[in-house]
Amino acid sequence: MRVISFARRHKKWIVLGFVTLIIAVLISPFASSHPDGLQRVAEDHGFIEEADSGFTWSPISNYEVNIPLPREWRVALSGAIGLLIMGVLLLIIGKLLVKKRDSSV
Amino acid sequence: MHIPDGFLDTKVWTTTTIAGAGALAYALKKTKLTISRKEVPKIALIGAFIFAAQMINFPIAGATSGHFLGGTLASILFGPFIGFIMMSCVLIVQAFVFQDGGITVLGANMLCTGLVGCTVGYVLYNSGMRLTQGRWHNIVTPITTFVAAWCSIVTASACVSLLLAWSGTVPLGAALTAMVGWHSLIGIGEGLITTMIISYLAERKTVLNPVEVSE
Repeated sequence: MRVISFARRHKKWIVLGFVTLIIAVLISPFASSHPDGLQRVAEDHGFIEEADSGFTWSPISNYEVNIPLPREWRVALSGAIGLLIMGVLLLIIGKLLVKKRDSSV
Repeated sequence: MHIPDGFLDTKVWTTTTIAGAGALAYALKKTKLTISRKEVPKIALIGAFIFAAQMINFPIAGATSGHFLGGTLASILFGPFIGFIMMSCVLIVQAFVFQDGGITVLGANMLCTGLVGCTVGYVLYNSGMRLTQGRWHNIVTPITTFVAAWCSIVTASACVSLLLAWSGTVPLGAALTAMVGWHSLIGIGEGLITTMIISYLAERKTVLNPVEVSE
C-alpha cells in the first residue's frame, strides 16, 4: 500500500524547475574545487596518475564552455547546456517508451 | 568525479560494460510496459535536476569535496528501473559531453551509482514505508529517505572499492576503508538533499477524493 504519493499539482514541479535552473546556472560556478571522495582516495593511495583520458574530444571538457569569457560564465553556460541536453534526452526516451507501450497493447 | 578511464583494468571494464549494457536493456524493457505518459515530463525535470545537483561539489572535511548522486531520489519517485535509466543518461551525457567519468568505465559507473544506488535506495525506502504502513509519516518519511540515501551512497562507494581492488589498482582493505570513510560523510549531503526534495514533493494520500486515490 502506497500512502505517500508525489505532487500531482503542477506548481511544485514548476518551482523545482526554477530551482534546477538556479543550481545549474547561478550556483554551479561557485562549487567546491577540492578533490571529491574518489579523487581524494586516489591521491592518498597513489593511483591518481593511472587516470588516463584517452577520450579527449568532449565538446565541453570539465564543465567549462571553451569561449573567451570569465570562468564563472563558462561554467554557468555549460550548466544551462547540460540541463537542455538532459531534459531533451529524457523526454525523447520517455516518449519512445510510451509509444512502444501503446503499440504493444 | 566518477571513475575515470585507467582506474579499472581490461577484464574489469569489459565485464562491467557488458553487465551495465545488459542492465540498461533490461530496465528499458521493463519500463516500456509500465511508464505513464504523465510521468515523462517529470522524469525529464528530475533528470535535469540530478545533472545540475551533481555539478555542485560541497566541501567536507580535510580539503575534500563531495556531490549529490541522486539514485535514491530518482528511484523513490519513479521506481528503480526508470531511476536506473535516468542515472545512466546523466552518466552518458557527463562522460561524452563534459568528459566527467571515463568511457570504458561507463558501465562500471552505471552499475555502482545507478544500479546499486537506485536499488539500495529504493529497497530501503520501500521497506521502511511498508513496515510502518503510513503511521507517523511526518517523521518516518524523512528519516527513511535520509537513511536510504545515505546507505545508497556508502554501498555505491563500497562497490567502486571492489572494482578497484579487482583491477589490482589498490588493495581491497585500503580502498574500502578510505572510500566508505569519505562517502559516509558525503552520504550526509545526499541524505539531506534527497530528504528535502522528497518532503517537498510528497503528499499524503487522502480518501476524500476517490478518483485521485485510484490513480
